[in-house]
Amino acid sequence: MRQLLAVAAGLAVLAASACSSPAPPRADAPPATPTGPAALPSPTGPYPVGTTALYLKDASRPDPWNLDADARELKVTLWYPTEQREGQRAPYMTPRESELLLKGSGIASAPYDTLSRTRTNAIQGAEPAGGRFPLVVLSPGFTQPMSTLTSLAEDLASRGYVVAGIDHTYESYATTFPGGRVAECLACDSDTDPGFGTRTVQGRVADVSFVLDQLPSKWDGSALIDRSRIAMAGQAIGGATALAAMVKDPRIRAGIDMDGTTYARIPKTGLAKPFLFMGTKQHITGGPDNSWDRDWKLLTGWKRWLVLTGTEHTSFTDSPLMADALAIKPLPGALPAARAAELTRTYVAAFLHRHLKSQRQPLLDEPSSRYPEVKFCAQS
Amino acid sequence: MTAVRRAAAGLALLLAAACTAPTPPRGQAGTTAGTVCAPPSGVPEAETATTIDVIEQAYFCILGNYYSGPTLDARSLLTAGFLALTQEINRGGRDVPEAIMPALTGDRKADWAAFETAYRKITDQVPDLRDKLAVVTLEGIVAALGDNHAHWAHDFKRPLDYYDGDGYGLGVEANVDVAQANGDTPRVALPPLFVTTVLGGAAKAAGLRPGDVIQSINGTPPFFDGAATPAIAGLYPDYPEARPVELRLLRQATGRRWTVTLRPGPYERDLATLQVVRSKLLDDGIAYVRMTGFAPDSANRVFKAITRLRTGRALAGVVLDLRGNGGGSPVEATRLLSAFVHGKVTAYQCAVDGRCSTSWTDDTVELLHLPLVVLVDQGCASACEHTSAAVKDLRIGRLVGTRTAGVISGPARSYLLANNTLLVFPDRHHLGPGREVIDRIGVPPDHYVPLTAQDAAAGRDPALAKALTLLHE
Repeated sequence: MRQLLAVAAGLAVLAASACSSPAPPRADAPPATPTGPAALPSPTGPYPVGTTALYLKDASRPDPWNLDADARELKVTLWYPTEQREGQRAPYMTPRESELLLKGSGIASAPYDTLSRTRTNAIQGAEPAGGRFPLVVLSPGFTQPMSTLTSLAEDLASRGYVVAGIDHTYESYATTFPGGRVAECLACDSDTDPGFGTRTVQGRVADVSFVLDQLPSKWDGSALIDRSRIAMAGQAIGGATALAAMVKDPRIRAGIDMDGTTYARIPKTGLAKPFLFMGTKQHITGGPDNSWDRDWKLLTGWKRWLVLTGTEHTSFTDSPLMADALAIKPLPGALPAARAAELTRTYVAAFLHRHLKSQRQPLLDEPSSRYPEVKFCAQS
Repeated sequence: MTAVRRAAAGLALLLAAACTAPTPPRGQAGTTAGTVCAPPSGVPEAETATTIDVIEQAYFCILGNYYSGPTLDARSLLTAGFLALTQEINRGGRDVPEAIMPALTGDRKADWAAFETAYRKITDQVPDLRDKLAVVTLEGIVAALGDNHAHWAHDFKRPLDYYDGDGYGLGVEANVDVAQANGDTPRVALPPLFVTTVLGGAAKAAGLRPGDVIQSINGTPPFFDGAATPAIAGLYPDYPEARPVELRLLRQATGRRWTVTLRPGPYERDLATLQVVRSKLLDDGIAYVRMTGFAPDSANRVFKAITRLRTGRALAGVVLDLRGNGGGSPVEATRLLSAFVHGKVTAYQCAVDGRCSTSWTDDTVELLHLPLVVLVDQGCASACEHTSAAVKDLRIGRLVGTRTAGVISGPARSYLLANNTLLVFPDRHHLGPGREVIDRIGVPPDHYVPLTAQDAAAGRDPALAKALTLLHE
């Protein structure tokens, strides 16, 4: 359950050729030298991007992990279209968050503050653009701060979406609250419990619904949001949360799961909302994890199941982009970091364009020669 | 392995962690594993069919790495495998004239060659059974070790509509647990058979309650002449077993007698009860901590729970409820004990030649300085018995309940076979702090307090009541 940052530690099995084929041997990597801070790839859409954070408190329920907290506190990071091109770039994370994330992931090959020096593209506190845009909720993997999906979030905002990324408190190595208080990973000591995934996802769904409830009143830029067009995407257990939230919350119209084993019970009568599974070869049809096969039969709306050659569990996050800065040598056969980011951005955006903006997306209809890594694994 | 199956409620979640020794440092790994078989690294690839070559690998893996590998008579393994093979052929309603055990000499390699030749000749006669025969033969060889921590993990399946946290079966637990029912523990089962817990599924839907006496299972009484019958195993079907089970029940309080038919299947369980460590403050200043497995970080979770309950108040003691705890990591057992005593030996792990390594307390763990009572029962297995034996021998606290499972041959190690299945067995056997054998014998409680059907029906917990009495003395 506990995912390691980056291609790190070489635990993940590479998808050599999607929908089958054995993994290549592991490289015996000589120690490399950190290259200096990473820079996130430029967003590909027409809009400049602004970002800001909200801190919300749900007094209607106790925190599921901190038994001494009688309310659930959440940090929400917003990325949104702006017209403002100048201004200070937002920090990627704080030095303390970087340290906690690297230590938690067992990475000691670079200075602990390395990730905090990552160059982002979004302008801190920029004035929101005019207009109305669909909303995309993002949820990161277990132990991972929301910032590890920044590359995707910035790109979506540049293409005309408001993105609300949720840090699920105590399920990440580090979440910083106002005043500098840092919540660490209280959930990390119980991630082998039976039912842990189910329980975690239930809590996250409550987080998502609460954020949707609160956004209009708590964010002064919320006029940007077209509340009739909301989707959710996530990586790992965040992807499982996207599916679960879609089952539970009628406001969420469509969802994307990036390589997450799923936990929610879809009603036996089926769920007709659009859904996209995209994963590594661990998530082939009939593969070691049965959860996508199970859910596939109950998804009765538009759906796709894509497996990406050369990806591993964290390829859908910023992790590969950090590999050089952290002196982590990629696994042989792994996609170059920039390509992994491009694939993730391209297919996530294609899905959202299709289902929230009603734009035709041939990429989702059949394999593309421009993206030969993407295999269509199951046909409805 | 029973312990593992129980700990994870048959769903193998803890398979990687439970019942296994910590990975040895890299330097040692090569020397123990030899070249025949090695510990798994990373996620195994998909399983392939078991062949005679896989059986050969397992045979030499056992001889090279198992506890008594250096001294055991390898002929006993081959004979057991051969017996299983012939039984399986007969089970198919036929026989093979050439299915005669070859003469064995005691030379391990030559005997294997003779076995393999005979095996190939026989299986060529029944090619349709080939895969199945390979499986039963290897199962027979592993079973011949007679070791409750030796197991061949293969062909693990679960229902397609399984969700994380689900159970499988009838949704009921009785006072005779699955390990007793399957003969995996030598603990004596006493009549009557009664429901202790309704977990969900068919049993919940049919309205069963704790204390309901089970008078028959599919028409067969659970006890005959005072001895448990194999019928009890019918309460605990494993996937894909799905045939309905008929129970004849008696509710003593009302005198009601009735029959229910329960269909096994996956069922949803209460997520709160699945947390491996749970705690609460009992109103008389006693911290109650229940721990259902020695999973990674379990000991720290117990310490955190006690520290939290202690904040702003003085505690009179700790009740550590280890009933039904199927074991897990010996490292966690040692850490847990180290919060109650320092500078002591908690266990020995001994090779067949009598050389032992010693599990000392981890004296970096802060002492709690609190009186302790540990609740145990026949479901307390493996690392749980390591803990219980040390609590008793080192006089850390008192044990209340019933004798532990006696399922603690030694810390198991895993080896990956060529068809991506895992062979699991110990290379050392476990002894208590007084160098006593705990395996099979179990650990007797200081205070014997069994649960009765009347207690279960009334929601009473006499063992907990006894623990509180002891802590207040």
